[in-house]
Amino acid sequence: MNIKHHPTDQTLMDYASGSLSQAMELLVATHMTLCPHCRNKVSGFETMGGAVLENTDSMSMSDHSLDHVMAMLEREATNENIVTETLPTMRRIAVGESITGSTMASLPRPLAELLPEDVTSLDDIPWKSLAPGVKQFQLKSIESKGTVRLLKIAPGISIPDHGHHGHEMTLLIKGSYIDEIGRFRAGDVADLDDDVDHQPIADTAEECICLIATDAPMKFNRLLPKLLQPFFGI
Amino acid sequence: MTGTKSKRPGPADPVEAKKCADWIVSVATTRDREAFAQLFAHFAPRVKAYMFRFGGNAETAEELAQEAMMQVWRKAHLFDPSKAAASTWIFTVARNLRIDRFRQRKHIEVDDSDPTLIVDEDPLADEVVGRDQEAVLVKAAMEELPADQKVVVELSFFEDCSHSEIAERLNIPLGTVKSRLRLALGKLRGGLEGVA
Repeated sequence: MNIKHHPTDQTLMDYASGSLSQAMELLVATHMTLCPHCRNKVSGFETMGGAVLENTDSMSMSDHSLDHVMAMLEREATNENIVTETLPTMRRIAVGESITGSTMASLPRPLAELLPEDVTSLDDIPWKSLAPGVKQFQLKSIESKGTVRLLKIAPGISIPDHGHHGHEMTLLIKGSYIDEIGRFRAGDVADLDDDVDHQPIADTAEECICLIATDAPMKFNRLLPKLLQPFFGI
Repeated sequence: MTGTKSKRPGPADPVEAKKCADWIVSVATTRDREAFAQLFAHFAPRVKAYMFRFGGNAETAEELAQEAMMQVWRKAHLFDPSKAAASTWIFTVARNLRIDRFRQRKHIEVDDSDPTLIVDEDPLADEVVGRDQEAVLVKAAMEELPADQKVVVELSFFEDCSHSEIAERLNIPLGTVKSRLRLALGKLRGGLEGVA
């Protein structure tokens, strides 16, 4: 995978500090699974978090707090209650072949975990038509602040020129699109601020599937019927 | 000893930082109580201050600091000194507990055993400087930051502030927050690269 577009440093820093919305965090963790470059950067930001922790004015603990903690830990030990972090088995959700050649075989864990249990490939996703050539699937069980959805865009279809109220990030899962910023392929992230307008177009002969996270709801339903049109029909 | 005010400065050199890492390893391998007591004395008051910034309540902060230290005990075997310094790792434990308690959800992380994980083809680049030394360098660079940049970094990590909230809080334009952060990150990173 040849990733060219990454979340901004500020987004990665917010991921490390734990101040992203869950929607954004999901997208960043999915990208990071595919991107050692961003994992490294996040480790750097976590090191900064550790440095802020070291430099902070400490608050003294109450009397006997260590004894209290030790006593509780002892009780645990006698109960053989040591935490082992065993994650449930990884679910495999196939992505399928892509004509661009750049693709992931299956979905990274952070995303795979949030899809309905009966989904084993992208084709199983219960897509809902949003507009001609555009289908969406809204992911559930996400904090109310922000939204996260999968979009499936037919070849040659363009998403209307839209600004953003708040922060929007797009992760390409399959296929590719092109916009004012450049060409995006599987694994790439478009990390857009509220002041950016862009108009992505699915630019190859295959459908384009992407994950879109926002901090503020997008007004797609209102915009799409009016503005959406096949790129080559303009 | 537990009730005394811990105003000890943080690890000032890699030797001190390495000591903290060794304590965590001792806790993991031999359930070393003395090592845990040392970790507790150093980190619990800091984690309490961290939690206080988010919760605003000394009692909750105390309880969460105790819980975080219990997690340090329970998860010590997951600590990898080649991947993180002690302060870095304990920061992530505290951060995850904070999100769990205050936002009632898990922090979404990369699973290192995920078969879709793409590994670094050039991992050597980062290993010239050890993790402990790296943490000490970042800490030193942080202390050197001009006050206006430092406060933006601190608010980013120690309060649930988006950049626009930081701007509001400090009564400065959003663009200024962003440029100060950019400058600060440049310096913090520059400090590291100077050595590597």
